[in-house]
Amino acid sequence: MADLLEIDGISASYGRIQALSEVSLKVPEGAIVALLGSNGAGKSTTLNTVSRLVPVTKGRIRFAGEEIQSWASHKVVSAGVLQVPEGREVFRDMSVRENLDMGAYRRSDAAGIKRDLDRVFEYFPKLQERLQQKAGTLSGGEQQMLLIGRALMAGPRLLLLDEPSLGLSPVLVQQIFAIIERLNKDGLTILLVEQNAAIALGCSTYAYILENGEMALEGASAQLRQDDSVRRTYLGG
Amino acid sequence: MSSPPLASPAPARRALSGPALIGLVAAVIVAVALPVFTSGYVVYIANLLLVFVVLCLGLHIVIGETGQFSMAHAAFYGIGIYASALANRAVDLPYPVAMLFGALVAGAVGLFIGALALRMRDIYLALATFAFGEAMQWVFANWDSVTNGPNGLRISPARFGPIEILSDKQAYPFVLFFCLVIIGLTVAISRSRLGRSFRAVRESEVAAMAMGIDVRRARIVSFGLSAAIAGFAGGMFGLFQTFIHPDSLGFQTTILVLTMVVVGGLGSIAGAIGGAIVFGLISEVLRQAPQYQEIIYGAILILFMMYAPRGLFAFIGDRIREARHGR
Repeated sequence: MADLLEIDGISASYGRIQALSEVSLKVPEGAIVALLGSNGAGKSTTLNTVSRLVPVTKGRIRFAGEEIQSWASHKVVSAGVLQVPEGREVFRDMSVRENLDMGAYRRSDAAGIKRDLDRVFEYFPKLQERLQQKAGTLSGGEQQMLLIGRALMAGPRLLLLDEPSLGLSPVLVQQIFAIIERLNKDGLTILLVEQNAAIALGCSTYAYILENGEMALEGASAQLRQDDSVRRTYLGG
Repeated sequence: MSSPPLASPAPARRALSGPALIGLVAAVIVAVALPVFTSGYVVYIANLLLVFVVLCLGLHIVIGETGQFSMAHAAFYGIGIYASALANRAVDLPYPVAMLFGALVAGAVGLFIGALALRMRDIYLALATFAFGEAMQWVFANWDSVTNGPNGLRISPARFGPIEILSDKQAYPFVLFFCLVIIGLTVAISRSRLGRSFRAVRESEVAAMAMGIDVRRARIVSFGLSAAIAGFAGGMFGLFQTFIHPDSLGFQTTILVLTMVVVGGLGSIAGAIGGAIVFGLISEVLRQAPQYQEIIYGAILILFMMYAPRGLFAFIGDRIREARHGR
């Protein structure tokens, strides 16, 4: 299938510290692609260059055939690239409903927004129960659901998921990943950043591994799961 | 991240519902009937309070809605006073034109300051805007050829076609009308898409950006709107005042408006209005004992931070709810 996202030799830096150097990856339409690596390897930075929160100093980013590396972040959102930031970045003092409304901030098609709201409730019935509750009072798992639901309200073509398993219990991680796989089955393309390599390799078709801002390894997820060095470093045995 | 450290703001959507709305209607009735029953002095105080309401609504946009510190509100107010007074003197047009000119000039300066302050957060933003406020006061006091410097500027009477406004009672209906217009405008902004983007920026810039909000634009526009409303308040001041002196446009005025907004309840429109009226009255009473004024302001602010960080009205609302639930 055609590549929805193509990152081609990008570099990025924070001040004098080089965070990424000549990183390339591809996300085919309809796939889940995992981006793995240890803390500080540059996984979140890579997502942030795509969502245009971090400028690239070199290289190209293509989304749906268009070069987006010099676009403003809000334009990228309008084009359908939605990042689910790590660290529970919900609007804490707004209700669940208001958070979901914020997701549709750049849209004006009332019928489409209503349809996507119903879809979010289908994936996350819990959110519908807590519609009037303030987002800051939700549990960690519910906040993660709200983050994904809010991004779905924007009508995305590509979801950039940043550490969805972070700080969640194993049961909740299973639940969240079951939903991520369902979203993908329903047609959503996903680029997934994870430290939990076992679960990320389990649900993705292809994976990349970053080390110190450079691409160290890539391959079909099923193969990487069998790879000795990957097992030693990222799968704990 | 960059949430306002003063207090957790109340949600804006509940700002004008139920009891607050009833209170507002009652207040409007009292306000309309006021000049019939009372003396010129009381009407003068009422005019002043209405100007403070508008100043507080302007500050509410930038601090309450968007969560950005602005410590230069008196400067924008002053720009509005001088610009509308000078426009009124220069051309013989109805006074609202001069008021709009004052709001536009203040708003343009606000946009400029907002753009300069984009990279700053929290205490740095507070300090930078404070410095701008001090600089503007210096300009008011020293740009003799325009502002008449430290001698202050005479403000010629406002004119609405054939009507010339020469007393507080004459000015009052206009001041009240303009105040209501700005209240309506602030509610409309708060409920608009723009207002939603302001509150998103207040709560999390990262999340706001992830939702496709142009955070830079939201911050600049909120500064501009806040300054334009302060400038408009300056034009309202010129409706009933005949004189402006740079001394009254310093940091104390900024602090006074900030205190009103915080005491009323940061993040709520009703809080900004109520804070302006309640604290405006307190400060008028304190005029009898000017030597204690600053100390009492400080004490009130500290007490509110400690016991009612969400503001006077949230505090009263909580007590009523507790009483109802028999606690």
